[in-house]
Amino acid sequence: MKHRLLALAIAAWGASLAMPAHADDAALKAEVEALRAEVAELKAQVQQMHAVQVAPAAAAVAQAAPPAPAATPPAAPNPGRSMADAATGNATSLWGYGQLDYNRPTARAADARADLTRAVLGFNHEFNETTRVYGELEWEHAIASADDAGESEVEQLFVEHALSPNYGVRVGLMLVPIGLLNEHHEPTQFYGVERNFVEQAIIPSTWREGGVAGYGTTDSGFQWDLGVVTSPDLGKWDPTSLDGRESPLGSIHQELQLSKAHDLSIWARLNWLGVPGLNIGGAVFAGKIGQDTSKQFEGDANFPADNSRLLVGEAHVRWQSGPWDFTALYTRGSISDTQDLNLSFLGQPTPVPKSFWGGYAQGAWRALEWNQSSLVPFLRYEAFNTGAAYASLPQGFEIPALPTQRVWTAGVNYYLTPNVVFKFDYQDFRYDDPALNYGNRFDLGLGFQF
Amino acid sequence: MRNTFEKTLLLVALVAAAPALANAAAAPTAASLGDEIFHDTSLSSSGRMACSTCHDPANAHAQDNDLSVQLGGPDLATPGFRAVPSLRYMNLNIPFFFANDGTPTGGFTRDGGARDLVAQAHTPLLAAHEMDNVDAAGFAARLAQTTYADAFRAVFGANVFAYPETVLLAAEFALSEYQRTDPEFHPFDSKFDLFLQRKLMLSPQELRGFALFNRPDKGNCASCHTSTRQSDGQPPVFTDYTYDNLGVPRNAEIPANADPAYFDMGLCGPFRTDLAARTDLCGQFKVPTLRNVATRHVFFHNGAFHDLKSALEFYVQRDTDPGKWYPLDAEGRVHKFDDIPPLLARNVNTTEAPYNRKPGQAPALSAAEIDDVIAFLKTLTDGYDPITNTADPARDVTP
Amino acid sequence: MRARWLLPMGAGAAAVAQVAHAVQYLTVEQAQRAAFANAAAFVPVAVDIDTAAIGAPAGWKPLMWRVQGDAGALGWFFEDAVVGKSELITYTLALDASGKITDLEILDYRESHGGEVRLAAWRNQFKAKSATDPVALDRDIRNISGATLSCRHLTEGVHRLLQLYAHVLAAKP
Repeated sequence: MKHRLLALAIAAWGASLAMPAHADDAALKAEVEALRAEVAELKAQVQQMHAVQVAPAAAAVAQAAPPAPAATPPAAPNPGRSMADAATGNATSLWGYGQLDYNRPTARAADARADLTRAVLGFNHEFNETTRVYGELEWEHAIASADDAGESEVEQLFVEHALSPNYGVRVGLMLVPIGLLNEHHEPTQFYGVERNFVEQAIIPSTWREGGVAGYGTTDSGFQWDLGVVTSPDLGKWDPTSLDGRESPLGSIHQELQLSKAHDLSIWARLNWLGVPGLNIGGAVFAGKIGQDTSKQFEGDANFPADNSRLLVGEAHVRWQSGPWDFTALYTRGSISDTQDLNLSFLGQPTPVPKSFWGGYAQGAWRALEWNQSSLVPFLRYEAFNTGAAYASLPQGFEIPALPTQRVWTAGVNYYLTPNVVFKFDYQDFRYDDPALNYGNRFDLGLGFQF
Repeated sequence: MRNTFEKTLLLVALVAAAPALANAAAAPTAASLGDEIFHDTSLSSSGRMACSTCHDPANAHAQDNDLSVQLGGPDLATPGFRAVPSLRYMNLNIPFFFANDGTPTGGFTRDGGARDLVAQAHTPLLAAHEMDNVDAAGFAARLAQTTYADAFRAVFGANVFAYPETVLLAAEFALSEYQRTDPEFHPFDSKFDLFLQRKLMLSPQELRGFALFNRPDKGNCASCHTSTRQSDGQPPVFTDYTYDNLGVPRNAEIPANADPAYFDMGLCGPFRTDLAARTDLCGQFKVPTLRNVATRHVFFHNGAFHDLKSALEFYVQRDTDPGKWYPLDAEGRVHKFDDIPPLLARNVNTTEAPYNRKPGQAPALSAAEIDDVIAFLKTLTDGYDPITNTADPARDVTP
Repeated sequence: MRARWLLPMGAGAAAVAQVAHAVQYLTVEQAQRAAFANAAAFVPVAVDIDTAAIGAPAGWKPLMWRVQGDAGALGWFFEDAVVGKSELITYTLALDASGKITDLEILDYRESHGGEVRLAAWRNQFKAKSATDPVALDRDIRNISGATLSCRHLTEGVHRLLQLYAHVLAAKP
């Protein structure tokens, strides 16, 4: 194996030397040709040595359409993915996805925005056939620096060890297995330009925590997950900012960024996939989130919510059959012991809610399909409330619940290929909230995944 | 059994600690020297002025008289230029910097010109209108005559008085250590602190005032005078360490203002010089902590107001009733923002609540609401006694 | 409080489980036996594949066996691999003598997500399908939510093998 890699490297080096194309470099060219031939031969030998035969990457992606006759010499690996390496169990492979959006509010055209919402590179490296590391690196909003709006972040980074084909353990920064979108957030996987609001506002976008988690499936079709992970940090709650109203948990999750880890949480998820096309299940995330904040400052700060607990529950059903794709999801969260904390936030715009919830129902229909392309109109109705109830305060200071936001989204996903999608939709909001960018709008988007 | 064990352990610990304890009581430290220097009037040309003269510990380390600016110099007759700020909670302040969005933040004294707690003491020790030591040599000569000069040598070196610049810097360091370490500068024992610690409940009026203080559509005070804990649990200090231009009226009680060409414009000068070119910052002064604000005798950088109620009324009525606060010009029109050159008057903050109003509109706070906010501000006074429901910032101050 | 103990307990449990279970996938031989319990011989088949004719990429060469029973041909057996999301999924497919699918096994799955294609309920969808069926995701093969890429690529792989059978192997004796 090493010989083949070495030969490849030499060939590549030789090729780069040949690039300047000096007219009198015939000798070098000949040498390169010889090396190429050698590489081809070595590769043939390697392939014979391994019982497993391998299709080129294009085979996996291609559907019915015959591809153009391949002109690629056999020694040239597919860009970004070395198939032969993968077969040997020494693979590092890259994948990625991207999303570009254009939002145009109908009432405030001046607020129209075009954004490179996210560019993501992922990798998967196998140490051996049972142990691998899996990572996802993301840039949001195109440019990330101290003076720019963008963010650069690690979305996932964990080591996975399979204890059997059916279950294993992961350690590291992992996406919380809750809802339908959190773990599968590539733009080709959801309908509409933007992710649904419920799985942004109630279940935060790409919610991740660090810790240890087990996962597995059973022969009867159950998929389970159980983890002990870091908790959000209620000490981070900023009552002067709207972040907590946009997404209560999104404003206090820590994303393993020097996460306060005095308090830990548990997650549990159970899906039943026993009937093909059906996904019915739910998840729970529960734990303390006070993080012993009262003992962090040298003075007697006595943060009044050290014992605060978070409980988030979620249930969903998805049915995909033929051209139809129906989804319903409901989620609800609660935070305990917020009374005294909110008293210290009296009059501030964003107190801590006692409960918040959201749900949506969505139907999509693959109306047209030709070659690899398809056209999928969809309709989604969402209702959610990030401040459905607040802990009681002294008379005269009660915090009224926020109004429930309701959104209709109608649009179409046009899949150029299953992994490249153009999207268009219109979103109708029950009430406008310019501060949170809520208001009727048209959205255009491009998404891809490889 | 266990009891015996614990007692033995305690005894061993005491024996082991005894020499250290004895030493601690006797040996001077930078902080203990700072304590001496802070209260020593002999370190001034008048012989009658110490730090504590204007930063009176019994008055929350701020002035105890009603003068807009204090008198200093050899005969205590030379007027200063700015009102005395309280030194309490300065240990939590941060060095000056421009935040990512360009907001000037941090720094010590009203214009942020002093880098840190050490540099803060420099001007008062030397300035002609204050302790008037003129230079390091003058200051070192006076310090060498004090009863604690030997202690000073013990801490900073036997030969230290041969280097006056070092003496001055060491004294400034000693003052900063004193302020940093002595809890009387940051007791966190106000009624509001006890409320945050859930040891008592504020009265309904105080709670109303707290809410009005915070509400963005009412006082909106908390947008600069931060009233929330930091994420590490540090109690609120009621400042975000930023700067603002409030358009405070010109104060005729400041002698320097007799010159119509003189303007004190904070960040851009005349005392601070490094930002003179940043005319957009002219007129901005640091947001002070509101802890102990109810014990202040003068308000704002120029001491233009002498009571808390007027200061609050100015905030909310500045734009709804400008005639109440500013003089008339030659043509009989209200000369709004009269303490900044006319060309720079646009620097004054007129966008944020409660300033974003027009003449004739209702102020953001009614008279009753101002009373509520004052009731709340009184809970920020240090040294609260729950039994008498009174607060005295001198309560924990060592005499 | 209790959460504190979960970490070491979990680690301990993992260590115990590690000793008790090595990862066990079917080998090719085991998969062959599982599909054709009565087979007398698996005869490797080497044919030139006109990949363009069956819509497969150039150079594609799955492993093929003709399955012999005591009383004649029992069917066909294939081993191939497709990419799931970024890693290979190795699988085997068994056809009876008439070209209908009798078994689909996943031999190796190397990715963090999408491993649900190993669920028997999902694989059973392919049983009795033949080259005349669409064998296409979201048509006659249903998806697994959250494992779309693995489902799609495996379905495409099976489709290709069925076409290979119909165009090349069915004509052979």
